[in-house]
Amino acid sequence: MLRYLVAQSGDEIFRRRALLKTIQRSGRLAFTLVEHAFDHAFGPRINPFYHLGALSFFFFWVVTASGIYLFIFFETSIEGAYRSVEYLTHEQWYLGSVARSLHRYASDAMVIVVLLHLAREFVLDRYRGVRWYAWITGVLLLWFLYASGIGGYWLVWDRLAQYIAVVTAEWFDWLPIFGEPMARNFLNNAAVSDRFFSLLSFLHIGIPLFLLLGMWIHILRISVAKTNPPRAIMIGTLLALTVLSALYPALSQGPADLDTVVSVVRPDWFYLALYPLIDVWSPGVAWGIAGGGTLLLMILPWLPRRREAAAAVVSLPNCNGCGRCFADCPYSAVIMLPRTDGLPYDSQASVNPDLCTACGICVGACPTATPFRRKTELIAGIDMPLLAIRTIREKTLTATTKLEGQDRVLVYGCQPGIDLTGLAQKGVGVLTLPCVAALTPSFIDFVITRHHADGVMLVGCAAGDCYHRLGVDWTEQRLAGQRDPYLRGRVPRERIATAWVAPSGAKRLTQALDAFRSRLRDMGPYQKGGSLPPPSASPSSNHGEVSDAAYRLG
Amino acid sequence: MPLIAWDDRFSVGVTAVDHEHRELIGLVNETHERLKRPGADITVSNFLGEIYTRISAHFALEEKLMRASRYEHFSEHKADHEQLLDDIRDIMDDYEDRQVFDEERFAQRLATWFSDHFRTHDARLHHKLG
Repeated sequence: MLRYLVAQSGDEIFRRRALLKTIQRSGRLAFTLVEHAFDHAFGPRINPFYHLGALSFFFFWVVTASGIYLFIFFETSIEGAYRSVEYLTHEQWYLGSVARSLHRYASDAMVIVVLLHLAREFVLDRYRGVRWYAWITGVLLLWFLYASGIGGYWLVWDRLAQYIAVVTAEWFDWLPIFGEPMARNFLNNAAVSDRFFSLLSFLHIGIPLFLLLGMWIHILRISVAKTNPPRAIMIGTLLALTVLSALYPALSQGPADLDTVVSVVRPDWFYLALYPLIDVWSPGVAWGIAGGGTLLLMILPWLPRRREAAAAVVSLPNCNGCGRCFADCPYSAVIMLPRTDGLPYDSQASVNPDLCTACGICVGACPTATPFRRKTELIAGIDMPLLAIRTIREKTLTATTKLEGQDRVLVYGCQPGIDLTGLAQKGVGVLTLPCVAALTPSFIDFVITRHHADGVMLVGCAAGDCYHRLGVDWTEQRLAGQRDPYLRGRVPRERIATAWVAPSGAKRLTQALDAFRSRLRDMGPYQKGGSLPPPSASPSSNHGEVSDAAYRLG
Repeated sequence: MPLIAWDDRFSVGVTAVDHEHRELIGLVNETHERLKRPGADITVSNFLGEIYTRISAHFALEEKLMRASRYEHFSEHKADHEQLLDDIRDIMDDYEDRQVFDEERFAQRLATWFSDHFRTHDARLHHKLG
C-alpha cells in the first residue's frame, strides 16, 4: 500500500513537473518574442524587459516625488478633496495636472511592470529553490501595492472613488473584524466625516512606506541588487510619462455624491478587475479569489520544489580569505567567517547551501582556480562538486585536442542561455558551464597561449539579462581589467570574442562565430610577445553600466 | 643554497601577509630543491604553475587589505602585482614552447622583483597597515 502511494505521488510529481515545464516554455516563448522586438528597437542593454524589478523601484520614486507635490495642495476633507484635485488639474495645468497624471500613470506602470516581473521570473524558473524568499515577499508586496493604489483612487473623491469606497466597505464588512459596518460611513453625504478622510490620507502615506520597506526586504538576499534601471531607460520612461501626462491628463469622473447611487464608472481593468466581481458575486467569493490566489502563489515554489545542484565547497588549505568569491556571489551565498583551521589568516570563505544556486561564479573569482596548476593538486579554494575546476580543465583539453586548422575556436557557453549543441563542428569545440562567469580568466590565457585553440569565444545570456544577474557584467569587467581576477594583460584580446545573445539569437551567434574564425585565419597562429594591448582594452564594446566595479569587502 | 633568502625587511606587520611572504619564499626554495634532485617527482611546469597560483592568491589577499584600508597607492601596487604575474606566465610559456628553463633568469627575476617590491610597495603598505 505504502509503496503504491509513493509510486503514485512520484507519478503525480512527474506530471506536475511536466505541466509546469509546458507552461514555462510557452510563457518563455511569449516573452522571447516581445523581448526580441524590444532588443531590435533599443538594443539588449536598455531593453526594459530585462530591468522589470529595477523599473518598479523607479516608478515608485516617480510616484513618491509627484505625490509629495500633490500633498502640498491636497485638502483632506470631503468638501476640499475633490475641489483641490480639480484645482490642481485645471487651474494648475502646467504643474499640478502633470504631477497628478504622473502620480497616476507611474502607479499604473508600476502595477503592470510588477505583474510582468512576477510572470517573467515564473517562466524563467527563478522563483523556486533558493529564490523562494524573494518570491514569497514579492507576492505579499502585491497586497501593499494594491492597497496603496486603492487609497489613491479613493482620495480623489470622484464618482469612481465613491464606487470604490462603497464596494471596499462592503468587501471588508464581510470579514467579522469591524464592530460596526464600515459601509455605514458611506450611507449618505452627512455620514462621511472629515476625520475619516484624514485617516485615509494617512493610510495613503503609511501603506506605501510599508511597501518600500517590503521592497527592501524583498531584495535582502540578493547581492548587488539593481534598484535603478540604466539611465537611458529612466530618462526615456520619465519623458514618455510626462508627454502622456501633458496630452492625456488624468481626470476625475465627476464629484462623488453619496446621496445618489453610482451606476456607471470606468474602472481600470488591470487594477480594479476584482471590484465588479465583489459587486456581482459576493464579497466572500472575492475574498476567496484574492486570498486563494495569494496562497496558491505563495506555495508555488514547492509545487514541485526545485533542487539546486550541489552547493559550492570551500577548501581551506587553498583559501586565504581574499574574499573575491564573497565579492562576486550574486546570491549572498558566500560569507566570510573568522578562521577556524588555525592558519594565521583573518577569515575564510563559507558557503550557505540554502542560498547557493551552483552558478559557479565564485569559482570564476578564485585566484587559485587556474588550469596552470598540477592536475593532482588542482583543487580551488572554492569549487563546484559537480563541475570542479579539475573537470573543466580536462573538458577543455578534450574539447580542443581534436580541433584542426588555423581557426580553431573553443566556445565557453552558459547553460541557462542559448542552446549551443549545434555550434560544435570541425574546428569548433563547445564547453557549457552553469554561467559564463564560472570560468576564471586564466582559462582563456591557458587555451590561447598554450595553443589549445586559436581563439576563445564566450557566449552568455543577452547583455543586461544574465540569468544569474551579474555573470555577464563580471566577465566583461574581468576581461577589461576592471574586476578581479583580471585577464592577464599580455593575452591578445583580438583572439577573444564575446557574444551575449538571447535564445532567439542563434543566427546572430553563428554569424559572429564565422566572422571571428575568419579574423583568426587572417591573424595566423598565436605567437608570443606579439601585441601588448592596453589593459583597459575591452574585447567587446565598453558600456557605461559595466564600469561599476565596486567591491564588497568581507 | 636557497633561491631566495628571507629578510626581516620583508615584513609588513600584518600576520597573514607576513605568513604568506614566508610561505611563498619557502615554497619557491623547497620546490626548487625538489626539482634539482635526481629523479625529481615534479616537473618544471608543475613547479611554475604552483608558484604562479600561490602568488596570485597572495596578491588577492594583499589587494583586499589595501582596498579595505583605502590605500592611496593601490593602483601602482596592483600594477606591480599584475606585472609580475605576467612575467611569470611568460617564463612558463618560454619553458612550454622551448623546453628551456633558465633557472638563473627565473631566480634572478623573482629575487629582484621580491626585493624591489618589498622595498618600495610593501614597505609603504607597512606604514599604512602597521
